[in-house]
Amino acid sequence: MTKRPIGPAGTNHKVLARHTATLALATALTTTAALSAYAQDITFWTQPQGDLLAYQDLYDELTSEFREESGINVSVEVINWSVAFNTWLTVAQGGAAPDCADMYWLHSFSGIGAGQHGPMPITEYRDRWPTLEEDFYEGALVDVHRNGEFYGIPWRVDIRPMMYRTDFLEEAGIDAPPDNWDEIVEQGLALTERDANGNVTRWGFALGANNNPGQTLMPYYWQAGGAMMSEDGRTATIDNEAMRTTLKFMQDLVQVHKVTSPEIFEKSADPLADFTSGGVAVVGSTNNSWPSQFDRDYPELEGTWALDINPAGPTGERDSFSGAGYWGVLYGSSDVEACIEWIQFLSEPENMERISQVSGAASPRRSVMTSELWTQRPWQEVMAETLNYGHTSQHPSAVWNAIASPEPGAVLYDLVYNTVIGGADIDAAVTEAQARMQAELDRASGS
Amino acid sequence: MMTIAVPDTATRPGLWQRLTFSNKTDLFTRVLVVAITVALLFYILLPVYWMLKSSFQPNQEIRVLPPIWFPGEPTVQPYTNANRLIPMWRYVLNSLFVSVTAAGISTIIACSAAYVLARFRFPGATIILGLILLTNLIPAITRVFPIYFFIQDLGLLNSYAGLILAYVGFSLPFAVLMLRGYFVSAAPPELEEAALIDGCNYFDAFWRVILPVCLPGIAAVAIFTFLNAWNDFLWASLLLNQGEMKTIQVGIGDFAQEGGGVQYVNAFMAACVVATIPALVVFVFVQRWLVGGLTAGSVKT
Amino acid sequence: MTRQKYLFCYLMVAPAMLITAALGIYPMLFSLWMSFVEYDLLRINEFGTPFVGLDNYVEVFSDPRFVQTLFNTIIFTVLAVAATLGFGLLLSQVLNINYRGRTALRMLVCVPWFVPPAVASAIWMWLLNTDRSPINFLLQDFGLITSNVRWLTDSTTWGPFSIPMMSIVAVRVWNGLPFAVIFLLAALQSIPRSLYEAAEVDGASLMQKFWYVTLPMLRPVLAILITLLVIGGLGSFEINYIMTGGGPQNLTNIMAVYSYQQAFSFYRFDLASAASGVIFLMTGFISIFYLRSQLKGVA
Repeated sequence: MTKRPIGPAGTNHKVLARHTATLALATALTTTAALSAYAQDITFWTQPQGDLLAYQDLYDELTSEFREESGINVSVEVINWSVAFNTWLTVAQGGAAPDCADMYWLHSFSGIGAGQHGPMPITEYRDRWPTLEEDFYEGALVDVHRNGEFYGIPWRVDIRPMMYRTDFLEEAGIDAPPDNWDEIVEQGLALTERDANGNVTRWGFALGANNNPGQTLMPYYWQAGGAMMSEDGRTATIDNEAMRTTLKFMQDLVQVHKVTSPEIFEKSADPLADFTSGGVAVVGSTNNSWPSQFDRDYPELEGTWALDINPAGPTGERDSFSGAGYWGVLYGSSDVEACIEWIQFLSEPENMERISQVSGAASPRRSVMTSELWTQRPWQEVMAETLNYGHTSQHPSAVWNAIASPEPGAVLYDLVYNTVIGGADIDAAVTEAQARMQAELDRASGS
Repeated sequence: MMTIAVPDTATRPGLWQRLTFSNKTDLFTRVLVVAITVALLFYILLPVYWMLKSSFQPNQEIRVLPPIWFPGEPTVQPYTNANRLIPMWRYVLNSLFVSVTAAGISTIIACSAAYVLARFRFPGATIILGLILLTNLIPAITRVFPIYFFIQDLGLLNSYAGLILAYVGFSLPFAVLMLRGYFVSAAPPELEEAALIDGCNYFDAFWRVILPVCLPGIAAVAIFTFLNAWNDFLWASLLLNQGEMKTIQVGIGDFAQEGGGVQYVNAFMAACVVATIPALVVFVFVQRWLVGGLTAGSVKT
Repeated sequence: MTRQKYLFCYLMVAPAMLITAALGIYPMLFSLWMSFVEYDLLRINEFGTPFVGLDNYVEVFSDPRFVQTLFNTIIFTVLAVAATLGFGLLLSQVLNINYRGRTALRMLVCVPWFVPPAVASAIWMWLLNTDRSPINFLLQDFGLITSNVRWLTDSTTWGPFSIPMMSIVAVRVWNGLPFAVIFLLAALQSIPRSLYEAAEVDGASLMQKFWYVTLPMLRPVLAILITLLVIGGLGSFEINYIMTGGGPQNLTNIMAVYSYQQAFSFYRFDLASAASGVIFLMTGFISIFYLRSQLKGVA
């Protein structure tokens, strides 16, 4: 059934099969109950976005509409985020997999799957979407292509504009949020507050909205004009002035100006709680789900926050972190044609609008972002505008997600953490990181 | 006295009353012990209290700084919300089913093995005991993939049977070792020798004579294995993570958002409280048994 | 007779052995095998799993982070076991006296047992967050501190000790204490009262009774408990992974977390298995002593 490099499992198999029969008997009732639901044509997995209940309800509606239209039954499984990563890692290694799914991290998972498991290219079906390039934002389409093959339709974009507290800015007499790196420092100093004992009660600036050093670094590095690797994904390109400038900027915020918390990269950091409780005034690269979540769960904060496009770096660039989730088909799919039809159905403009409305996530489809749905609130327009500055956070190497992993020991984690928080010498750290990243890329490209 | 077991008597004085009986040298020890105990209780109960009180607060109140220690207007809304967001009770029942079955099966299997390992010398006994102990020495996480694919090869992924099998496997070494120690101390060899003379065969002697005597110890081991299964997240998240069949520990993960945050903090806390209660109830019922069970044998003889 | 006895023995052991073989021994051997080959998820499809000898072990030991992690693990385990035993001995004594409300107190002490490690970590993270910690607010109200204690993030060290390490140990102890208390409580009840009575006749104080009667009588049980706690501590994972991920600056990283990071974040199952192999050596060393003491009891 599965091809694995070694398998003494086979010998144990028989011995245990008999024993398991007893166990299975005990649980037979419940198990059969679960299996005896009406026959499914295809299975589809997705991770929830926005309100969990509304998300599930929407998929119930979509599947029943699709069944009426095409006669195909889609069985939807919502995989929660606490198990999603390990689930997809086992899928890529030949574990239990659906026919089609909402997926992410195309490069890593198809790299591990190596043409046997995980995401499957569907290039021959690409002409089902004849106006793909015009209909979708370019940044999002990058995330569904690998080695020239087409893997699916992007349905949500994790785009990260700047978010700030209007009340604090007003209080400090600042008219507009920072528009460039110098203003970040300037305003950060004005917005940081300390109590009588010197404890910081409010940080002026947070670099990002999660504790991942790699993800935090990326937009600023791009804004300084840098690139992580060559386009073929074989050469690391981080030993340059752009990287040094970026790290110096970040290091100074923490060490010299002291307007950014030195705890931002710890697991216990809670940027959402910091921002909502007034512990932070400006978040340079926000979480794309925050605005809709604020509208839904934090009505008391209404009128105290706003979005703006990311401040410009020294080269004038305003690159914003962007990453797309996509609908794709998996190796071993029982019915590729049915999967394609289902994805086609999902990707219809009005369905993508419904999905975007419920998930609160920006849509990679241009028509959705210019529809009435995305023009009701000022922040929505900013989000749509930021999509034009979107720079994909995915890179064309299977090892990319190990390089950018939020765990100590990852190349970018060590580089950013040691310099920005640890105060290590930037030149030496960059040189070392370049060598380590090159070694990782070599590992993945098979040399 | 302070540090020793006293059998139940008609008069049960309060803890403080006991202190006044003491002679002078012991007074200091007693006060110190009480002081440390109170501090420990604060440490033990603080997180539990925090979970409990947050599960009765509106989210806005939870977020306030400085933190509010006592809910202004307690509400059960978080519980109804939690139940609306995830099929909480179904998950709890799943967990109960899986944990109870796993505990039952592994206790039975462990009993038989532990008994002969405790009582008889036979070729390979030492090796078997060593192997059973050895298997627990490598942290669970590196065993993840071999076990995942083994369960998959058996066709038991996303079935209760697969998860139960895994739990039985993980709790067996511990259960065997504990029970073996118990059999050694609680059931004197004379017991089954007498039974054998009465014409029982080995199995009868085990079944009719030894097992009843050892029930408290067996119950204790059953509780341990039950709790191990009940509290597990890692294996349940890999082997049974779909649909309505999820265990409550994985079900709680439904509140997780991309990137690790939690949606509806109060409802999440409510779900955590609900995930704690069934194990607590089980414990209440077997508490006396459990404590008596572990080493009671040596007193009985 | 002997043949019948042996047959009975093997029949009784067979189910346990079969399951242990499949879910214990096989995965363990698999894991050990992985530590001697290249097992890289990104290369395995193309290059398979060539034998590399001790390369994986050499690679982890040449990683300064691993060496630090190794020491952290030992310190973490020693601290956690010592604290669990100390608190456990004290609480089990208190819970063993007969007084009103004892059952209720026992229940309260045992509550952390029913809170799964994953949930416990989430709650403790909240309680120990530098800026939101209710404990910090409490300490400030009492005037005990002027600036917030950075429970999980302070990277100041005193030798191998640091505040985050202490915090993590505290959470580990919190979660593991009920088990130790119940275990010791059971053992306490098996100590014959006559021993205490004899001690009382000799005019022994409380501490003396504890020292000369209770402790010696508990020795066999303590041996088992310590073995279990040490093995559990060396392989401890969830609390450290969730609460600090090994940070800040690797101060709270322990072997199982290091192993998980290698496997699941960097796709290097070979290095993860090598780290596990090192844990295996340590736990194996501990359990040899345990086995020897256990086997003495076999008639």
